[in-house]
Amino acid sequence: MALKAKTVFTDPLSNNNPITIQILGICSSLAVTTQVDKAFVMSVGLTLVTAFSNLVISMMRNQIPSKIRIIVELAVVSTLVIVTDQILRAYVYDISRQMSVFIGLIITNCIVMGRLEAFALQNPPGLSFLDGLGNGLGYSAILMIVGSMREILGKGSWWGIQLLPENYLGNGLMVLAPGAFFCLGLIIWLQRQLTKKFETA
Amino acid sequence: MSTPKGDSFVVVYATIVCLICSLLLASAASALKKPQEYNVEIDRKINVLKAFGVKITDASGKRIKGPEVDQYFTDHISEITVDGATGQEVASAGEAKEPLSLYLWKDDGVVTKYAFPISGKGLWSTIYGYLALEGDLSTIAGITFYRHGETPGLGGEIEANWFQEDFRGKKVFENGHRLKFEVVKGKVTDKYPDGNNHAVDGISGATLTGNGLNRFINADLDKYESYFKLHRGT
Repeated sequence: MALKAKTVFTDPLSNNNPITIQILGICSSLAVTTQVDKAFVMSVGLTLVTAFSNLVISMMRNQIPSKIRIIVELAVVSTLVIVTDQILRAYVYDISRQMSVFIGLIITNCIVMGRLEAFALQNPPGLSFLDGLGNGLGYSAILMIVGSMREILGKGSWWGIQLLPENYLGNGLMVLAPGAFFCLGLIIWLQRQLTKKFETA
Repeated sequence: MSTPKGDSFVVVYATIVCLICSLLLASAASALKKPQEYNVEIDRKINVLKAFGVKITDASGKRIKGPEVDQYFTDHISEITVDGATGQEVASAGEAKEPLSLYLWKDDGVVTKYAFPISGKGLWSTIYGYLALEGDLSTIAGITFYRHGETPGLGGEIEANWFQEDFRGKKVFENGHRLKFEVVKGKVTDKYPDGNNHAVDGISGATLTGNGLNRFINADLDKYESYFKLHRGT
């Protein structure tokens, strides 16, 4: 059991990473990674939502009528997302304004629904919570890497701190969404090279 | 999925889930209402300051905080209501036929700048902003747009500094005439080779947003003209 808990938690960090291996949640990882602080807020938001929706759905899993399973899942996820959005608006207003729709769109993030359907419906609450946490953190890790690459190359700073000399012009491509595609592609390639795990056709 | 469940169970279950969810949402919304409204208010004030040309970031590039914003407001800014029909200042919005709100920037008690809210349709959305005029009421001191739903990267560029800074120093009134302000399609120098002091470069890919700006900036300027006329020096 302890072994399983460990793999449930660590698998999504690398071997089964939701972004680089399962290729889920690409949309938000392109949109909110122009700066590290935005990526961080998104990461925290998504990790909490995934973990707690997994926990709640897992506790309800034996009662949920299968006819309205998806609707109940959506109700739980959207409640959590809206609460997160409200908290952000109250305490980090500037960032929440920049994130605009993307916090709201956690509801439709494939990772959240994916984990609910694939894991929380079959597993006890503790494990499900760990699974959600693991997947959230796996997503966060990639977001932070991509965010760092884009902010450093695009603006010469990291978390608003100037790293490169002031006269660094900034790579325009990195600020735009296609820049995130390149970063993501590089990370996926690097990871597959290192782990020697390839998809067979 | 233990026991078989009838339709009535489904309905009851759904009702309970919805009740719990709405209870949670309602309590979160009401508990956080105060800080949220404060943030919105500060954001509005920051945008007024930005239109007035106040530096709204500190040395490290962070936005100035609430208390500092309020300080500017108590030191320099007074909010008045004017009646668009007569051009007179009124004590409350209820007394005016066309109540318009106006911000006055005062240095040592003398009004040196004016700002007022502008809003209107862009391409996809209603755009909200503030326009500030210099004390002569003929020259633009600054403009901001703080809320819109235009395409990011295209029409959304109206939020960008290069676009907003271009407005500064442009004329809206000259030699006794209201000048039609214009966001041109493309570059000003292409359309007006001799130069034009009441036009700014458009945003490529956002001509329709620009057209929207033209409409509502001019319409809003006209609304205040009755007041400006009375206060414009000779």
